[in-house]
Amino acid sequence: MHSKKLLRSLQEIVGKDFATTDRFATFAYSQDTSVFGGTRAETVVRPGSTEEVSRIMTLAHQQRIPVVVRGGGSSVYGQPQGLPGSNLLLDMTRMNTIIDFNPENMTVTTQAGIIMGKLQHACNQAGFYIFTPSAPVHTVSLGGWMSGAAGGAGIWREVMHLTVVLPNGTIVKTGGGPGTNVNQPLYYNRHLGGPDFTGLFIGDGGSFGIKTEATIRLVGLPHVTRARIVEFSTLEKVLELILRHVKRVDPHPFNPLLVFGPGAMETFIPGSGEKGKFTVMGIMQGHTIKEMEAKLDTFDALVAEMHAERNPALDAMTDAMSTSREGEGGMEMFGLDFFNGLGLPAWLPFNMPRASFHTTYPKLIEWREKRLEEATRKGFECRSRFEFFTPGDQCYLSGEVDAFFKDSDDPELKEFVRTMIFDFQRYTHELGFIDVYNQGVMSTLNAHYWSLGFRTLYHTVKSTLDPHGILNPGLWF
Amino acid sequence: MCGNKVTTGVPYICPVRESTPGFDHFYSRGKIVIARGLLEGEIEPSQELAEAIFSCTLCGNCMTQCGSINQDTGDALVDTTKIVEAMRADFLENHPKWVDPAYRSILSSTRQYNNPWGLSRTAKEKWAKKMKLKNAKREPSPVLLFVGCTMASSQELSTRARKAAEIMSTAHVDFAILGKDEPCCGSVQKRIGDVALAREMMEENTNLFNSLGCEAIVTLCAGCANMLKNDYRESKEKLKPRVFHIVELLPKLIQEEKLQLREKHSLKATYHDPCHLGRHMGIYDQPRAVLNALPGVDLIERYARRENTICCGAGGGMRIFESGSLAEQIGQAAVESAIQVGAEALVTACPFCEINLQTAAQKLDAPCAVYDIVDLVAERISLY
Repeated sequence: MHSKKLLRSLQEIVGKDFATTDRFATFAYSQDTSVFGGTRAETVVRPGSTEEVSRIMTLAHQQRIPVVVRGGGSSVYGQPQGLPGSNLLLDMTRMNTIIDFNPENMTVTTQAGIIMGKLQHACNQAGFYIFTPSAPVHTVSLGGWMSGAAGGAGIWREVMHLTVVLPNGTIVKTGGGPGTNVNQPLYYNRHLGGPDFTGLFIGDGGSFGIKTEATIRLVGLPHVTRARIVEFSTLEKVLELILRHVKRVDPHPFNPLLVFGPGAMETFIPGSGEKGKFTVMGIMQGHTIKEMEAKLDTFDALVAEMHAERNPALDAMTDAMSTSREGEGGMEMFGLDFFNGLGLPAWLPFNMPRASFHTTYPKLIEWREKRLEEATRKGFECRSRFEFFTPGDQCYLSGEVDAFFKDSDDPELKEFVRTMIFDFQRYTHELGFIDVYNQGVMSTLNAHYWSLGFRTLYHTVKSTLDPHGILNPGLWF
Repeated sequence: MCGNKVTTGVPYICPVRESTPGFDHFYSRGKIVIARGLLEGEIEPSQELAEAIFSCTLCGNCMTQCGSINQDTGDALVDTTKIVEAMRADFLENHPKWVDPAYRSILSSTRQYNNPWGLSRTAKEKWAKKMKLKNAKREPSPVLLFVGCTMASSQELSTRARKAAEIMSTAHVDFAILGKDEPCCGSVQKRIGDVALAREMMEENTNLFNSLGCEAIVTLCAGCANMLKNDYRESKEKLKPRVFHIVELLPKLIQEEKLQLREKHSLKATYHDPCHLGRHMGIYDQPRAVLNALPGVDLIERYARRENTICCGAGGGMRIFESGSLAEQIGQAAVESAIQVGAEALVTACPFCEINLQTAAQKLDAPCAVYDIVDLVAERISLY
């Protein structure tokens, strides 16, 4: 339990209304959107600026108070647990202001507690967007996304600068232009002028520092979008298409391909999954109709050459999708509402090399089906399956082989789902892959597979930046 | 339910979170977690917790934006409004000392005067003086005009009842009123958590309405409409008359040319969807059809509209909570959004919205006036 003196000190920093030790208020943070849960905290603070975060961390560092950081609270694998009984939780979502929108330089600098949907929308309004590859990320905070690699990590290469508060309260600004990495007012190159410390703080799970601001590169919002949906009977054909597609063009940010497995199509269109086909959606985006049509023609020629099957029902879907964009850019709009109605999700995401995908992907499906048989024996009803993958770049595929259960209050069902999610990631590690998220319980799992050298490097960095181990303790180990 | 989903037309989800320090307990996710904590005995009730629970407009935007559906029933998977109402009921029943006395006074007024505002029983017939309207108890009519307690609560609002009656008379709608015998529908009582009292009122009212032999009840208040149409489904006796809000009737009267609309001054108007009518009843097109049909009225839309409308702030008993300061703050955001699109008139169809938006507009010295849709129709059939 934290002292009243600590609360008063925090209130002096953030204002009286933005720090609380009320039991019900801190309890409200004990759950997030995942089945793994939130953080038990003694005090919750909502800082409004980098300076406030710095002063809080200075205080925590001096008094050795464990600090757990929370963004949008919409994780897949839960929040850092910290040290229950002593945690000071920083709710970062008050830091949601866009600081600088620079259309000329095509960058946006924003506080990192902003929810991605809000940021994306603001960018769209100005004719730009931030590419987010494979997940509906509207509900996550920018800081959480960068820390936990939510959504397949696709934004990482677009991050030009970070303002980070180190565990001792020091404020660091990474990136910048040639000659300086400190207080550079215009962040336009992440790599020049010094080591890429921006990368150090991305995917760290929030354990090296607290990201308070970021500058992200923008791309022009494509005004015209059409989809071409075709079917293939075999996975091999799909992979051949992907290879030929990514050889020609970078799938980011304007040429994404989405592939849906039979289970997903059954969920979209009941009855269609029985055919056992893979459905490929090529999304053709352009700044003009002419540009989009040229892309569509090229893609059509490619799928025709590969004898892809067309289907009138899917063509109708194509037309519907083409008119439903309403100016929103990117793929992140896809599917968000759709998932909400499917039931209790067992999210089973993966990142796999494209080269060996044809042998590993069927193993993931097989693994899931075995677990679903077990679920049936236990009396848990799987209502939907959802298999999906997309080229994250030229060399890897990112996707999911999810299952959705009929929801109930049964704690055994929740436990079954938790175990299923965890075991799936363990299985993908055994197959030689990495987990998609550096988040919650999966951080510990990832760290389990680190090499001795990597582990030593991590500990060296962590103990240098956070000698008392106060920031998100226990996240990786 | 994360409460984070900002997309096109949705500037933010929870108006309370936006106007408060914004901790999780100020919006749906935190409230749901707290409900679980209370049920499982992990947290204790307190005055501060009571304040958190009563700080909700019950607007339902969190449910709408979340979109999670129970696959078996098609209903919202997590019905936040029901959870909050249930927590309020628990506090009123088991920890009344922590509930704002203003809420308790609403309940005692209801018991004493059969309305939440402490109006004398005759207040409900004052507006109809010299109008020679039929009394539904004595002269059965196919339509009952149900004015509602809030419409009768001030002279200004009650002119609305008068205008509605005149519009219906002009259109030769055969209707009657209940005057001083008009009961309270029980909406306010249910929203603030006195489920038992609301149920009692519902059962009594259902018997009364069924005994009148009318085919339809037309309300002027969005809260009454939602209560009578949706909540009354839970009553033991089925409510026989069909329930409509007047915005559902007006387009028909206009379309059938039962109202001769005349050109008045030109007016750029925007429509504020009351939560009870919009998100809870799905009534979006009808009021817009009315406004589009009114000569001189130029309907312009605000950024957040229809199912994405941000609550005016007065829902869920919030006009009473903290003397209405939070409601007013939320209302100011709604008025500002009307100013942003250059509206000269902010039009709504609910007395709660009207009062709150009016107060907010005055506070902001806003260049747009607040109207009930009935005002604009009445003006254009030259009643006033």
